[in-house]
Order: sequence, then C-alpha cells, then structure tokens
Amino acid sequence: MEFTERHVEGLKELLYKMADDLLIIGHRNSEWTGLGPMLEEDIAFSSMAQDKIGQSLALFELLHELGESDPDTVAFTRNAPQFHCSQLVELPIGEYDFSMVRHFFFDHAEAIRFEMLSETVFEPLAMVAKKFKGEIKYHTMHADIFMQKLAAGGEESFGRMQQAINDTFGLALGLFEPGDYEAELIEAGIFGGEAELQQRWLDKVVPLLTSYGYMVPSVDAVEPAFGGRRGVHTPHLQPLLDEMTEVFSIDPGADW
Amino acid sequence: MYGNAYIETDGSKVHSILADEDPIKLAEFEARIAAGDKIEPKDWMPKEYRKQLVRMIEQHAHSEIIGALPEGTWITRAPGFRRKLALMAKVQDEVGHAQLLYSAAETLGKSREDMVNDLINGKSKYSNVFNYPAPTWADSAVIAWLIDAGAIVNQLANSKGSYGPYCRALDRICAEESFHLKYGHDNVVFLATGTPLQRQMVQEALNRWWEPIMHFFGPPDKASQHSEILMRWKVKMGSNDSMRQTFLNMYVPKIWDLGLTLPDPNLRKNEETGQWEYSEPNWDTFKQVINGNGPCNKERLAVRRMAEEKGRWVRKALLSKSDEYVTPLA
Amino acid sequence: MKINSLDPRISRAELDDESKIGELQGSEHFQTYEVFQQIKRGTHHQHVGNVHAPNAEMAMLFAKEQYCRRGAAVNLWVVKTADVFVTEYQDADIFETTEDKLYRDPNSYKVMDRINAFKARTNNA
Repeated sequence: MEFTERHVEGLKELLYKMADDLLIIGHRNSEWTGLGPMLEEDIAFSSMAQDKIGQSLALFELLHELGESDPDTVAFTRNAPQFHCSQLVELPIGEYDFSMVRHFFFDHAEAIRFEMLSETVFEPLAMVAKKFKGEIKYHTMHADIFMQKLAAGGEESFGRMQQAINDTFGLALGLFEPGDYEAELIEAGIFGGEAELQQRWLDKVVPLLTSYGYMVPSVDAVEPAFGGRRGVHTPHLQPLLDEMTEVFSIDPGADW
Repeated sequence: MYGNAYIETDGSKVHSILADEDPIKLAEFEARIAAGDKIEPKDWMPKEYRKQLVRMIEQHAHSEIIGALPEGTWITRAPGFRRKLALMAKVQDEVGHAQLLYSAAETLGKSREDMVNDLINGKSKYSNVFNYPAPTWADSAVIAWLIDAGAIVNQLANSKGSYGPYCRALDRICAEESFHLKYGHDNVVFLATGTPLQRQMVQEALNRWWEPIMHFFGPPDKASQHSEILMRWKVKMGSNDSMRQTFLNMYVPKIWDLGLTLPDPNLRKNEETGQWEYSEPNWDTFKQVINGNGPCNKERLAVRRMAEEKGRWVRKALLSKSDEYVTPLA
Repeated sequence: MKINSLDPRISRAELDDESKIGELQGSEHFQTYEVFQQIKRGTHHQHVGNVHAPNAEMAMLFAKEQYCRRGAAVNLWVVKTADVFVTEYQDADIFETTEDKLYRDPNSYKVMDRINAFKARTNNA
C-alpha cells in the first residue's frame, strides 16, 4: 500500500519515541558502569546499556533515511521539549532496586514492541526488529532472573523491590501513551498500536511478577505517567541532556 | 591497565627469604621455569613467589577497576554515538579485565573479598596513574591511547611470565586491548587534526599527563631494589627502564607526527645508543601520590566504598547459606 | 569533606571522602562457577575461566557477558568449581606412557619385507 503523508508522520513519531527511549535508558544505565553491586553484574548491566544505545542508533539511522538529520545531530542537539522519550526512562538511576525494576518493565515492553514490529510492512524496520531479537532476549532473561531472585532474597530485598514496583508501575504505563497516528499505523500495517502493546505487556509481566511473589498494582488504580511523548517531561531530562551534550556542544560542527 | 612499578623483593634478604624452602623442590621449581614451563595453581611454590604474585596480580586487578573511574567520567558526556558506544565498550572491557585478574589472583589462595577489602581500606595499591583527574574529554582520549599503550607494553611482557593463570588472563586481555589502543589513537588523531580548540584541548591534556605517563613504568632501575629473583622466577619480566624505553620508542614519534609537543625539552632519541634521553621525572611526587596524597586518591577509594556499600543489600539478598566457597581452579 | 568530582555521577552522589563505611563483611562471598564455551556446533566445549555467582542461572547470565560478549559462541556450560574433581600435578606421571608399547603404534606394523620374501619363495618353487 502507498504511504500517505500521515502514514509517514506516524512512522516517524513511532521511530522517534522508540529511539529516544532507548537512548535515554541506555544513557541512564551506563551511569552504573564501575559502580555496580557485583563485578560480573556490572559488566552485564553496562553491556546491556551499550546494546540499547546501539539499538537507538539503528532507529535514528532509519529516521535519517526518512529525511531527518543524521543521528548525532538529532540526538545531541535537541532540548527536552523536543524529546519523545517516556518519563520512565529519564528518571535518575536511584538505587539498584529502582534501576532493576525499570529494566524489567522497559525491556519487556521493548521486546514485545519489537516482536510486533517484526511483522511491520515497513521492511527496514522489520529488519531492525529481527536483528535485535537475540540481544533483547538476553535483556529480558536477565531481568526475569534478577526479579525472581531478589524477591526470594529476604525481607529487605523483597521490601525494596515491592516498593520499587509500586512506585514505578504508573511510570511504566507511560510507555504506552497513545500517539497522534494510532489509527493510521494500525490500518497501514505499520504497527499494531499502543493499546495492543499495553495489553500484551500486562499479560506478560503481571503473571511473571505474581509468580515471583510480588503484588502488582491494578491498572485502574494507577495514574499513567503520560506527557513524555508530547515533549512534557520531568525536571530530570534537561540536566541529563545538558550533560550528554556537554562536549558535543563545544563545537557541534567539529568532527569528534 | 597497569604499571610494573610496585613489586619488589629486597635482594639483600633473598637468603633468609628462601631459607626454609625445601632445596630440592626449589631447584625443580626453578628448573621448570627456566625451561619455559608454566607454574599452575596447585604446584609447589616458594612462599615469596606466591606472595609477590598475589600482590602483583591483585594490584593489576585493582588498577583495572579503579581505572574505570577517570574514563567512566566521560561516558555520559561522550560527543556522538560512535564515541559514546566505543567508550562504553572500552570501560566495560576494563571491568571485565578486573574480573579475569581477580580470578587469577584468587587461584593463589586470597579471596576476592579480601582483595576488595584491602583496596577500599587503602592497604593495597593500584597503578598511580589513576590518581589523577581527567578534567576534559581530551584527557580521556590521551588516557585511552597512551596509558593503554603503556599497559600493553607491560602486559605483553608479563604474558610470557611463569604463572599459568596470569598468562592466560593476560592473553585474553591483550586481545581486547588492541581495540582500546586503536580507539584511543583514533580519538587523539581526530582532536589533533581538528579545530584549533580541539587541538588546544588535546595538547593541554598531553602536557598534564606526560609526567604521570613517565612515572607509569616505575622508578629507574638504579633506584629500585634488586629484583633478580623476581626476574629469575619470571614474575617481573623486564626492568622498569627497558619497558619505558620500549614505550618511548614506539609512541613519541607518533605523538610528534601529529604536530603535538611534549613538555620535556630534553626528550630525544640518541641515535648512537638507540636510547631515549629525557628529564628525570620527579620521583618524590610519585611517592607522594602512591602513598595516598595524589589529587584523586581519596575520591577513588570513596567511590569504591560507596559502590560496595550501596550494593550490599543486593549481595546479601542473593547469597545462600549453603554456598561453599572454594579456591578457583585456573 | 564532600567530594566535588569531575565526574557528574560522583558529584551527584555527595560522597564524603573520609567515609569509612563499606567494608565487605565475611558473609558476602559468592562461590565460583567454571565456564565452558562451545564456539560452534560440532566442536568441544572449552574452559574459558570462571565467574562468581550466587546461583547457576546468574552464573550463566554473567558467563555470557564476561566470555561471550563479542559473540562467537553457540552454547555454554557452567559448573560449580566445588563440583570439579581434579588430578594433582605431582601425579602427572600417571599420564606418562613408556615408549615400548609398540603394539599400539601403527608404524610398528611393517610387512612389505615378509610379503616380498613370500612372493620370492613361491615364485621359485
């Protein structure tokens, strides 16, 4: 089918939010490098952060092919109101309980989103989705094992993790904020839409968490943290961007 | 990433050090080493050999993990995707190297836990060079190129040493370091051949780092205590001066090739002797820094302590009472 | 004294450089697992090193990153170090074999001379 202008806009909106999410969460997770709770886990966590940034780059490259500027320019010269990442990913790393729960929630959403996109009619995106399948499989495997073991690790550990789940669930729901082109994306076969993604995500993470012994807040009882997709962010994003672009902005035209 | 500088056996005490070692076993041990064979963890070994090796490998491991800090400073601020990804990969490799080295040291009987405690309470040393700050992006480039280059000179030499587990760890490490060196050089080249501001940034970084780099291989041979026994046992594989010469010979021409200068007017290669001449670095500064008075020593250790403390609940949660720790194999 | 670091992550953490907290306590020790990696189907698994881990699943997760992050593996085994039974180097002589076990050496089977002698004998008869 021929893509109309609205289809292309919808596709770009989708790619931007994915690329921004991956860049920001990769950046946040890289802040743990050298500071992790266990040596081998430090290595694993920073490796996954690298993967996320690599995935982000692949999506920015798709955007470039669709007419946006090159990845470095797009990623390193926008300010917070122009970013489409969810509020979930921009929060500071906090302690390992929060970072681990964020990793669990985000990575399962990412896995399902990419799974849905492996069927997309937009071939370049289907290829990217398939390419990263193995990486993401490891990421969710890692998250599941840690969520399970930390639940079983005694009172302090369970308490921290449960609290983090309670605090983060609403933020995670912000991942599924509907865009302006949901109908177009669905009808064109580009993407099955945020509503379906959210349902599939709930069907995955709720039973998993319950099986580990956690309580999961009810979707209806929680306020989803919307706004990120439309450029409405927490106070944490701009300082992150200022830091991320500190060297680049010394001379954006220079070759680094 | 590591400098060779800090292991010494007092040559004048060799007799007493070896006094209560079984002479037959000692002779067999030394013959094995002289024949180029490796010593493996469960072999008989003199106490001094075990002690010096543990100290050396442990310090090397600490250097990797501490070294991740000045470089890690710039991960969040790396300019552009390519540099961001490469720096993340590099620093992650360094942490991975720490893991390999702690494991190698553990085969000699000291637990990783004890080694980490000795690091955070200041008892164990690590490479001096990481007690300096990395104030600009160009500093991280200079470190990635020239400190890694120095470390490779050391590591290549040590990989031919006598202790099996350490050699195997070093082989793996050397393979990964080649990417680090390329990345570092690439980074410095872009800066040196870039805008006037970039050139200035990298020149200033080089000026700052030259003395620590000259310190990297340790005090001059004539000032060090005797290390014949460590050389005979292939624990120390080259003198400090010879490693320094190798480094200078390989890298000073490359630095000058980029039109960069070094802050030592006496630095030149004597074409007749083939030896590099230079102003003697300040070895008092070196002593001060290695004994805890460098610009970043306190910060480095405080960060490690924080990391251990913040991670405590995770480790406690995962630990099982029935776990039985045994010395790793190889 | 609060640390003012060049590393923004460290400054944010508001550390005290004289802090003495955080020594590892005796009980925070994981056991090790030996890691065996198969580079491609059809080849043997090879020992590549170990990981410290609290359980086998995490040993596997860690081994994948520590030893296979640059790819080149299709399969991994992890085994508790405590479960590996080892020989002693001082008993390495049990592996030596004396040279005179020629009956196992293909090169010690030479019959051309015998065949030729037989042919010569039967032709002359």
